[in-house]
Amino acid sequence: MRNMNQKDLFCFINQISFMIDDITLFLNTHPDCQDAIDAYNHFKEIRCEAIKDYTEMYGPICRYDVNADNYWCWVNKPWPWEGECYN
Amino acid sequence: MWVYEKRLQFPVNIKETNAKLAQAIISQFGGPDGELAASMRYLSQRYTAPNKEVMATLNDIGTEELGHLEIIGTIVYQLTKDLSMEEIKASGFDKYYVDHTLGLWPQAAGGVPFNACEFQSKGDPITDLFENLAAEQKARSTYDNLIRLTKDYPDVYAPLKFLREREIVHFQRFGECLRLVQDSLNEKNFYAFNPAFDKVAPCINQKDCNC
Repeated sequence: MRNMNQKDLFCFINQISFMIDDITLFLNTHPDCQDAIDAYNHFKEIRCEAIKDYTEMYGPICRYDVNADNYWCWVNKPWPWEGECYN
Repeated sequence: MWVYEKRLQFPVNIKETNAKLAQAIISQFGGPDGELAASMRYLSQRYTAPNKEVMATLNDIGTEELGHLEIIGTIVYQLTKDLSMEEIKASGFDKYYVDHTLGLWPQAAGGVPFNACEFQSKGDPITDLFENLAAEQKARSTYDNLIRLTKDYPDVYAPLKFLREREIVHFQRFGECLRLVQDSLNEKNFYAFNPAFDKVAPCINQKDCNC
């Protein structure tokens, strides 16, 4: 996913995260549905890789993933309400 | 514990301010069927949920609703960002502006402040799940009304349409929760007792009682 630009990778993360949001709600009331579990495992792996790539290239989405050297970059990346599709 | 992610569940990027629309949409921030009430309803009810499936559903939908509160807050913020005094006066936004300037505050479109009485946590899963099913439908109706008002504003319309669809999915999931709870009850007593509180169903007719 390192060949995607920032905006595309950010949108991809939003899309794949939403798929997981929806599948997990379904699994909460169908915990033995093997098809949904397989889908969850599949998308979880892709999301994990996308988040890792995004964080390394463009900065943290989550404050547990901040790679700070001499400046706390969590504060200077835009917030979601500021009108950018990506941070 | 919650972990924040610096992103919206659905992107919002509104290019033109519109204080009139903001005054209508703020109802889903702090109004009677809004996202704040939804989130607090489910996150309050989850403690006394009768089984693990319902606990997980209340926890995760309650969490998603917080994300929806953030989407609505973003829409209102972007619709009112950098408004001029002329726009504030002409749009009727002046009444809100007096108390909150351009800050976000949970209220209904008509100005009624957010109130915890807008949701219920009854400690009875049958009662609570019927409340939740009704709440999802009321929120869906509110989005229907907002969508009619925003048809000509695609930047605003798209996230509202997404949020409307989520109400329908949540209704489905709560319906499944209700089914799971009812399946675990004595079928003669679906509504006769509180499965979170009463250990044994109270006997309505002593003669037919097996307990």
